[in-house]
Amino acid sequence: MFNSFFRVIKFAFQDIIRNISLSLMTILILVLMLLSINTLIIIGVLTDQATSVVKEQIDVSIYFDHEATNEQIEEVNNYITQFPEVTSVEFFDTEAVIAQFREQHADNPEILASLDELGENPLGATLVVRTREPLDYQKIIDALRVPEYENIIEAKTFGDTEKAIERIDIITKQVERFTLALSVLFAIIAFLIIFNTIRVAIYTQRTEISIKKLVGATNWFVQGPYLLEAFIFTVVSMIISYGLIFGVFGFLDPYVAVVFQEPEILTNYFNSNIIMLLSTQFGAVLLLTIISSLLAMRKHLRV
Amino acid sequence: MITLENISKQYSKDSTGVDGVSFHIEPGEFVSIVGQSGTGKTTIVKMLIAEERPTNGRISIGGWDITNLRERDIPYLRRQIGVIFQDFKLLDKKTVLENVSFALEVAGESSGRIKKIVPKVLDIVGLGHKLHRYPHQLSGGEQQRVVIARSLVHRPKILVADEPTGNLDAINAHEIIQILKKINEFGTTIMLVTHNREIVNHLKKRVITLHRGRLVSDENKGKYLL
Repeated sequence: MFNSFFRVIKFAFQDIIRNISLSLMTILILVLMLLSINTLIIIGVLTDQATSVVKEQIDVSIYFDHEATNEQIEEVNNYITQFPEVTSVEFFDTEAVIAQFREQHADNPEILASLDELGENPLGATLVVRTREPLDYQKIIDALRVPEYENIIEAKTFGDTEKAIERIDIITKQVERFTLALSVLFAIIAFLIIFNTIRVAIYTQRTEISIKKLVGATNWFVQGPYLLEAFIFTVVSMIISYGLIFGVFGFLDPYVAVVFQEPEILTNYFNSNIIMLLSTQFGAVLLLTIISSLLAMRKHLRV
Repeated sequence: MITLENISKQYSKDSTGVDGVSFHIEPGEFVSIVGQSGTGKTTIVKMLIAEERPTNGRISIGGWDITNLRERDIPYLRRQIGVIFQDFKLLDKKTVLENVSFALEVAGESSGRIKKIVPKVLDIVGLGHKLHRYPHQLSGGEQQRVVIARSLVHRPKILVADEPTGNLDAINAHEIIQILKKINEFGTTIMLVTHNREIVNHLKKRVITLHRGRLVSDENKGKYLL
């Protein structure tokens, strides 16, 4: 039993070396497939990052009438905060609002002059609300459309950003759909390429397989080296692919950091998901190579 | 040793391999199966190593009924019969030594024993000095001698040679037949499948003649009739 096991290992390595060009071609195809799939993952990470950056910049501002009392504002604040969709509520009192207004229009002396002429602060306090998803803003706005708040809320800025939010939502959904469709397409192409590469590799060795059977080899003894080769090809292609991916990250991350103001986004994503990424990709490629090998050999083993 | 009882092989409605063939070969015999091409000789060889199954009839080897042999038992049958093929069937990517060793490796023989036996057998067939050559580096006669070494290495009681001289010149063919005769002298049953008239007539051994899938004659010290 052990003799046969060690022989299967020996034959697997012997086959890889003696069919080196075929072995390298199989590894190359596997590497290309893994790189394609990981490119899709990278695109997905960057898209998520981009949409979350845009989403973070969207908020809804609730401008209170300058006659609204602190108690009334506090009541609205408590009311909004209880919504699970709300992630933060920031309060700016009348002084902070006027200071912000002056700062924003510092280069416009006419506006500042007319403000000074008024003599009193015409602006009310403001609440800046952020939610988990852009679509949740509509819910907050609807909740505030009640008669008891109508007199104290002067305006809500959601109207200005509503279109932008809708657009982002559409773009995000389209990108998700596109990425999913592309992933499915890649998976089908990868499956066909790997299946055919292994089928061709085994087809070239069909005579050897039948000879081995004719001199008394069991199916296991014939299949063993090919299955082990599939395992070795998978391990080698994973090592090469991930070596290349992390190498490319060293080059890409500084550029990505400039865009998103966050260092090593790609490296961090892959590092924190490495076990999941390695296990699913290794499992999928190994399963694919083994199933392809078994299917391709089945015909030639009938000797 | 080998018994075929009313064996038939029908490939399709219009194609018959063998038709109602029966014969018995005793241990230690040297039997030539002769006949023109397509007359069913190779079909019989294929049925003996369970590469093909008979449509009707019964085949037994050493009392073992192999007519409906289970898939998983086929390797064990093949390890007990030495087979020499016309087209050699050597593993191109393995050396002479590895090709012969392979027949023992599949049977789970220990590495020590393989290292001891294989060079000796290759020495017997005159290839002791070409152990590390690949098949494509050998002549046709040498390749056939590797095949003989491979078929003998696990000391089979039966050796089936299917047109072993078909791809060889007269000198190499003569050498191969001499080796087969020597193997037979040591007690191995030989079944030689051939359509080489000279070889059969020169052997002066039992001859079974097939014609269109049927057995037409079975004679001790026979001659090539057709």
